[in-house]
Amino acid sequence: MDDTHVDRDVLSALQEVMEEGYPDLLDIFLADSEERLKVLRAADSAALLVATAHSFKGSSSNMGALRLTELCHQLEQQARSLPRPAVQELVGEIDREFAGIRPLYEAERQRCPAKI
Amino acid sequence: MQPLEPLTILIAEDSAADRLLLSSILRRQGHEVLTAANGVEAVEVFGQQHPHLVLMDAMMPVMDGFEAARQIKAMAGETLVPIIFLTSLSENEALARCLEVGGDDFLAKPYNQVILAAKIKAMDRLRRLQDTVLQQRDQIARHHDYLLNEQRVAKAVFDKVAHSGCLNGAPNIRYLQSPYALFNGDLLLAAFTPAGDMHVLLGDFTGHGLPAAVGAMPLAEVFYGMTAKGYGLAETLREMNAKLKRILPVDMFCCATLLCLSFQRRSVEVWNGGMPDGYLHRIASGERTPLPARHLPLGVLSPESFDERTDMYPMALGDRVFLLSDGVIDTCDANDQLFGVQRLQQVFATNRHPDALFEEIEQALRHFGGETRDDVSMVEVSLLESAQISPPALVYSDSGQSCPLDWSVSFEFRAATLKRFNPLPYLLQLLLEVHGLRAQSGALYSVLAELYSNALEHGVLGLDSGLKRDASGFARYYQERNTRLDELREGYVRLSLQVTPTDDGGCLTIHVEDSGKGFDVERVMARPLEDIRLSGRGVSLIRQLGRNARWTDDGRSARVEFIWEALA
Amino acid sequence: MSVITEVSEDGQRLTISIRGRFDFAKHQEFRKSYEDRELSAVVVDLKDATYLDSSALGMLLLLRDHAGGDDSDVRVVNSSTDVRKILAISNFDKLFDIS
Repeated sequence: MDDTHVDRDVLSALQEVMEEGYPDLLDIFLADSEERLKVLRAADSAALLVATAHSFKGSSSNMGALRLTELCHQLEQQARSLPRPAVQELVGEIDREFAGIRPLYEAERQRCPAKI
Repeated sequence: MQPLEPLTILIAEDSAADRLLLSSILRRQGHEVLTAANGVEAVEVFGQQHPHLVLMDAMMPVMDGFEAARQIKAMAGETLVPIIFLTSLSENEALARCLEVGGDDFLAKPYNQVILAAKIKAMDRLRRLQDTVLQQRDQIARHHDYLLNEQRVAKAVFDKVAHSGCLNGAPNIRYLQSPYALFNGDLLLAAFTPAGDMHVLLGDFTGHGLPAAVGAMPLAEVFYGMTAKGYGLAETLREMNAKLKRILPVDMFCCATLLCLSFQRRSVEVWNGGMPDGYLHRIASGERTPLPARHLPLGVLSPESFDERTDMYPMALGDRVFLLSDGVIDTCDANDQLFGVQRLQQVFATNRHPDALFEEIEQALRHFGGETRDDVSMVEVSLLESAQISPPALVYSDSGQSCPLDWSVSFEFRAATLKRFNPLPYLLQLLLEVHGLRAQSGALYSVLAELYSNALEHGVLGLDSGLKRDASGFARYYQERNTRLDELREGYVRLSLQVTPTDDGGCLTIHVEDSGKGFDVERVMARPLEDIRLSGRGVSLIRQLGRNARWTDDGRSARVEFIWEALA
Repeated sequence: MSVITEVSEDGQRLTISIRGRFDFAKHQEFRKSYEDRELSAVVVDLKDATYLDSSALGMLLLLRDHAGGDDSDVRVVNSSTDVRKILAISNFDKLFDIS
């Protein structure tokens, strides 16, 4: 995975700030993201899509997931105007992006000392 | 980054990861952190914990950030609780809404620690500024209450000092003054002399508040003390000026108009230092003579340079002197136009009933539309029959058991003394040691004053009383008097007092002699007793008030007696 | 600046010019303009002064006191009609040379 998907500097900054809370942060991010993806896949209203995309965009940006942030931003902006198939296609891209970067975060998680 | 005092910060953010991250950042910066996951929780936590600052996510479930912010701002009231919205800068609509609900700043995601710390610091500075403002406001309000109370006390003390005057008792004085006029420097005093003349002072101290009120008290004491002892306007002015010059700072002074109204002599003596024109209203002709300021205010000049020269005007029964403070003239309307002297004179011109003058002026001021000022003072003094005026009886503090009953004393006042010394108050005090004479103190003083002024003016100075026939002659007479007195080199007034006991009580014999040319005694005696006061030697006054009045040595020598019965 | 000072070439005469309202707000400025100097002659220029109140009169008295009291040489110049009137009522022409 190259740096266009995840900004490593952000991760080290996070680790510095969070100290022993870093693993928790990673866990929560991954769990929340799964939840959001579920909502996105099943969403039937534009409003829900917009809100969820917005939220996902926020935490992705905090976690350094650059491409994911960009995709969520696109969905947030276009969910109301795009036809349903195009929306679903975008959701699919988000899904794939997250699947792609997920191992990286998991690896980060492994790197840290186990929490008691 | 300089260390900031640790704050309690509420984070309202629905994304758990973001919330955790933000909390950590803030804790690392030394702050205490509270969290909420939606708007409702945010409002609740705020109400319970009262954090210093709130970081609010705009989009939250249950209640969004906008509504939560609105409620929190309402709960905070006049305290400033800064709210920093966590939002993306691309949403312009959202930005506008943030501001509408009272948001103070924004923070974009991803969170930048440096920026966050800077914003918190800036917001905290504002918060503390607001706090200071509120504290100072409250302090000022408390101070103001103290001041009001001090004024109340000062006013109470002053009213006690001032009550010895006759402002409210005398039927010939009308006045208008706001109750707190004193605290705008306006002073109004009135008192009777032992002879039954009336001294009136309308003054205006520079400045406001307690400094003005404080200067008024020594002034009032001098005014009342000296008037009661029988001192004339000139001596009283000298004393008041010297006192104020001594005790007041250089830039404080008191503009004042002083009047001495004599019902017996039907005249008014005027001294105006720095006040607006007063007006002498002659009822018969309807004419209003302005009484302008010819002198510097009191408390400016040293005693050596002080000018106590007064102007004299004759008055007829019913004539009035009207004085006003500059609060009337200086009343401004909405366009900063002054009411001015011309409008005042218009009121004068249209006035038909003299008694309605005050109301008409007040009405004109109201119509003018100016802001009603607290320093509008007006006084009107009328010349009534002496019988209508009854000065209060003097109160004595001793029992009279050890009073002198058999004695005599003589004085010779020569030129240098005649120029600068008024012996009458001293002589009166001396005579009032005789208990039996106290009941006649008014008559006694009037007669002494008349005898002395005759001896001095007509005798030593050689002034012709015929000059006082009309208004302009009147003024000329008194100018001439001052000139001749200034130039006096020779001459004397001899005065002797003799008190002897009689079978029934006692007798005072007053003997006055002057070095002048004398007058035609028989001609003056031939005049009927109720002659008009304007000219003449006041001979009839002496004959009316004293007993066995006699003039000898071609009028250069006068003699009169006062008798009393011993008190049980 | 509403109180402007100017010293003459020979350093002997101080001119103080007042702009706008001559009232209590100018108190500090006015005093500062002369208090550190030894004065022989002072001119107060009221050309641009729009208004004068009793505290201004007090300030003039302080200046006069500082400049030697009865021995002082203080002139008040370029007074407008309104200002002249106020000075006349208070008879300040007996203390200051007013023009």
